Amino acid sequence: MHYLPLQIIISLFVLIVSLRLIKRYKNNQLKTSEFFSWLFIWLAVLVVFWLPESTSYLAAVLGVGRGADLAVYLAVILLFYLIFRLYLKIDNQQKQITKIIRHLAIKEEEDNQD
Amino acid sequence: MAKVIRQAKDYGRVVVVDDGSADQSFSRAKAENVTVLRHLVNRGQGAALQTGHDYAFLNGADIVIDFDSDGQHMAEEIPTLVKPIIEEGYEAVLGSRFLAGRFSKVPFLKKWFILKPAIMLQNFILGTKLSDAHNGFRSLSRTALSKIKVQQDGMAHASEIIEQINTNNLKYKEVPVTIIYNDFGQGFISGLKILRDLLFQKLNK
Repeated sequence: MHYLPLQIIISLFVLIVSLRLIKRYKNNQLKTSEFFSWLFIWLAVLVVFWLPESTSYLAAVLGVGRGADLAVYLAVILLFYLIFRLYLKIDNQQKQITKIIRHLAIKEEEDNQD
Repeated sequence: MAKVIRQAKDYGRVVVVDDGSADQSFSRAKAENVTVLRHLVNRGQGAALQTGHDYAFLNGADIVIDFDSDGQHMAEEIPTLVKPIIEEGYEAVLGSRFLAGRFSKVPFLKKWFILKPAIMLQNFILGTKLSDAHNGFRSLSRTALSKIKVQQDGMAHASEIIEQINTNNLKYKEVPVTIIYNDFGQGFISGLKILRDLLFQKLNK
């Protein structure tokens, strides 16, 4: 138990994030599926930090040397996936902004003619 | 820019798209008594072009000419882009600076290290046989206008238009045009935050 301080910091962090998740879910700002997947991810983080040995078992099954390595691999894959989703979302929003601006431009001209 | 508008006016109705310019572009274009569509915020050249196309289509245009506002194109050549649509039934006519008959003074390095490789790549990907990648000077029929929807807000729209001409099986041809390489060129465009002129001719019979 030599990295106890880190475990406490991480636990507090996860607690704060979870509280915010619950609050957002209650305010209907999150879909049920989103809420549970985020909660699952953060709980998994807790498990990894409190029971590091648990990852070793999974690592062995998947053929990765150490449990800690597996955690890093998974984290990186997850991050890339989330960035990819963000990218798609921003691209979509850009297109929607253009649509609005175009609509306004044409409407302004039509209003001026009346 | 005012000069470009005045020259283009002789050939049809001019529509200017002001893509969120911070300078005097809007009022200067407006002073020329032409339709000016204003983007509240800058959305890019492709976005501005599509705004012009939409406006033209909504107002019953039969033929639309895309025309740069920086003096790169020559208004006198507009008829050569319109003719193939009226007389030969083409749906899209693209200006090319490399076809014989016109002498565009394309800077050597620009021609062989930027433009030609870009054209080859584009022809290879789209399976087209074009002599020029795109220089923004083109004409579209109403049919083409109804089918081509520019999604690329930025500078990729030119290739996108060619791609859509291709996928929609629109009859197209290239005609030689003169491109004037003046002092401002691209720098002027970006300085003005890409202002795109759009010109369409109504050919009511």
